[in-house]
Amino acid sequence: MREGLFSGDTGNRCVVCKGSKMLCGKDRCPILVKHFAQLRARTLVDRLDIEGSSPPGVFVGQYGYPKVFVGPLIPPVTGDTEVMDTPEMWLGRSIDEIVDFRTQLVRGMHAVDVFDVETGGRTVDLVREMALAASPAEAEAEFQRKPRGRLVLDDEVQPFGPSAPLKSLDVGSIKVDHRIEKPFYDTDLRAREAVLDLYGDGVFLSRIQKAFSVGAFGLGRNRRFVPTRWSITAVDDTIGKQLREKVKRLPLIDEYRIYESWTLDNRFIVLLMPTSWRYELVEAWYPNTVWNPDGTDIMMISSHEFYGGRKDYAEIGGCYYAARLATCEHLLRLQRQAGCVILREAHSGYIMPVGVWNVRENVRNAYKGPHLSFPTLAAALEHIRTRLDIRMKKWLRTSRILADIRTQRTIEDYLPVEPQAKEAEGVG
Amino acid sequence: MFKARIKADVLREVITVVGTLVEEVKLNISSDGLSLRAVDPAHVAMVELVLKAGAFEELKATACEIGVDIDKFREMLKLARAGSVLRLSHDEDKNKLVVTIDNLTRRMSLVDTAGMSDPKVPNVNLPAKVRVKTEELNQGIRASESISDHIALIATADMFELSAEGETDSVSLKLPKDLLEALECKDTVKSLFSLDYFSNMVKSVGNAPSVTLNLGTDYPVRIEFDLAGGEGYVKYLLAPRIEND
Repeated sequence: MREGLFSGDTGNRCVVCKGSKMLCGKDRCPILVKHFAQLRARTLVDRLDIEGSSPPGVFVGQYGYPKVFVGPLIPPVTGDTEVMDTPEMWLGRSIDEIVDFRTQLVRGMHAVDVFDVETGGRTVDLVREMALAASPAEAEAEFQRKPRGRLVLDDEVQPFGPSAPLKSLDVGSIKVDHRIEKPFYDTDLRAREAVLDLYGDGVFLSRIQKAFSVGAFGLGRNRRFVPTRWSITAVDDTIGKQLREKVKRLPLIDEYRIYESWTLDNRFIVLLMPTSWRYELVEAWYPNTVWNPDGTDIMMISSHEFYGGRKDYAEIGGCYYAARLATCEHLLRLQRQAGCVILREAHSGYIMPVGVWNVRENVRNAYKGPHLSFPTLAAALEHIRTRLDIRMKKWLRTSRILADIRTQRTIEDYLPVEPQAKEAEGVG
Repeated sequence: MFKARIKADVLREVITVVGTLVEEVKLNISSDGLSLRAVDPAHVAMVELVLKAGAFEELKATACEIGVDIDKFREMLKLARAGSVLRLSHDEDKNKLVVTIDNLTRRMSLVDTAGMSDPKVPNVNLPAKVRVKTEELNQGIRASESISDHIALIATADMFELSAEGETDSVSLKLPKDLLEALECKDTVKSLFSLDYFSNMVKSVGNAPSVTLNLGTDYPVRIEFDLAGGEGYVKYLLAPRIEND
C-alpha cells in the first residue's frame, strides 16, 4: 500500500525510515536493536584481549564439520554472569534485555577436529573444563584480531556477540559441577544414559547440553564435539523420548484442557485431549516476523507424531522437540496420558529469533499456569478461537492431529451404546 | 499348565500380526489352541486371532492366561534358524515363560494380566464381502503411500476399488469381478481409512495368498485371513475416517 510512495525493495524503505517511522511494520526497528546492542559490546571489546567471568559458556560451531570452531563465551565483565548463558532464567525478560547480555558474550574460536576431545591441546582442555563448571569462571582470552562486532542470530541457538580467533586462553580455578563430573569420568556410560541421569538429578537442560556439546559423555571412543545447535535438540529429543515412553503407560486425562503463555509477542495455546499419546506443534508466522520478513500472508507450518513417534527430523526444527519435552514433563507430573496440540502465533513484536529455549520455556510456563477444562473438543476449539487472532479454520486446515481427531472414528463408536451414552465429540 | 512345540515360522506370523497393533498382549490358552484379542492404544483398530491346536507340533494345556511382551518374542525369533521348532512352557511357580530354540533357553518374565481385560468386539453388520489377492492389495497400498495418508475402499456389484486422493495426484486400483476370488455386493459401498493402519495390517498378512474384506458405507472394515496354512485365522477391525465438513 505504500508502494506508491516508496517503490522498490525493503532497503529503500529503511533508508527513508531510518528507524523512526516504522515503515516495515515491526514494533521496533530490528536494525536499531541490533546496532544498539552491538555498539555497547564494541566499546567494551575494542581490543585484542578480554577478561571476564564466563557464565560459564562455550560454543561449538557447525560450519566445516567435522573441523569446527570451539571456544568460550566471555563477557567483558566480572561477577555473577550465570544468567547470561542460562535460558532457564530468561522467561519474562524483554527481547532487549536478552539481546543486551547475549551481545556482551564474545566468542573465542579455536579450530579443532570434532574427535580431538582428549588430544586437542591446552585450549581444548580448558574449553571442555569450562563447559562442566558449576559457576562462572574467570577467563582471560587473547585474540588474533579484534573481535568483529556482529550479533549472531539463529532460530535454534540463543544469540551471542562478536567473535575472533583465539590466540591464547587462560582460565582461573574452575569448580566443576560434581553431578556432571561423574558421567564425564565414566567412559563406559553411554551418552544417552548420562543425559537421562543428569536430567533425573535435576541438572538444568542448558548445563547438560553444554557438557554434551564438548563431548563430555558417552563411551570413551565415541566422544566428540557436537555443534551447539545440534546438541540442544539432541538433549531435548533424548529426554523427551524417554519421558514419552513413560507417559504412554499412564491413564488418559478425562477432559479437554487449555493452557496458555504469552511472552516476547509469542502466543502459545496448548490443548490437551483425552486420547492416547500424539503431539503436534503448529506455528503461524505473521508477516514481518523473523521468518516471514517480507510476506503479506500469514505462514503456517506444523510437525506432528502419532503414538509410534516419528523417524525423520521435524520439519519445523528443534522447537518441536523442546515443546514435546515440556509437554511430557507436565504429563508425568499429572501422571496422565493425553494427546497434545500446541498452537503458536508469532506476532510482529517478535522481531528476532532468540533460540529454541523460547519455545521450551514458554510451553513450560504455560503448563505452570492455570488451565481451563472443556467436556468436548468443540467447546475447547470455541475457546481457542477467542484467544488467537488467526481464524480457527486455518488452524484446522494445517493441523494433522486435529484433522485426525475430527475424522477418525474409534472402535468404541461401534459398540452398543451404554445407558450413560458418552457425549458427542467433534465439531461440525 | 501350558507346554507346546511350535514352528518358529508359525509363531512369527502370530507375533507380526499382534505387533502391528500392540506391544503387550494377553494370550488365552487351552487344549484347543491359542486365542487373543487386542485394541491398539488409539482405539482405532482391533485384532482377534485364533491358532488351533493343529497349528502346534505338540500342545498340552489347561485353560490359562499369559501376558507377553511382543518385543521379547521378536528378539527370540530373530535367533531362530530356518525350520526351527520352539518349545514353550509356562513355569507357574516363577510365572515365567520358558522358550527354547535349539540349545538356547530364555526365561521370559511375563506381563501382569490383571489390568488387561478382553476388549469388546463390536457387532458390525457389513453388507459387502470381497476376497482379493494379497499381492494386488499390497501393490495398491504401495502406490497410495506417496500420495495420501488415507484411502477409500469401494465395492460395487461388479468390482472392487482402492483409491487415494492427493493434492495433485490420485491413485486407483480397480479389480473387476473376474480378478477377484469372491465378490458379494448388492449396493455400492464406500468407506475411508487411515492408510497407515490399513497398510500395516495388510503387510502383516504373511503367507496367506488372499484376504477377505468386509465393507460397508462410512463403516469399519473387517480384514480376515488365514494363519498357519489354515490352522488359524486373523480378524482385524479398523474404524473408518469420516469427513464431516
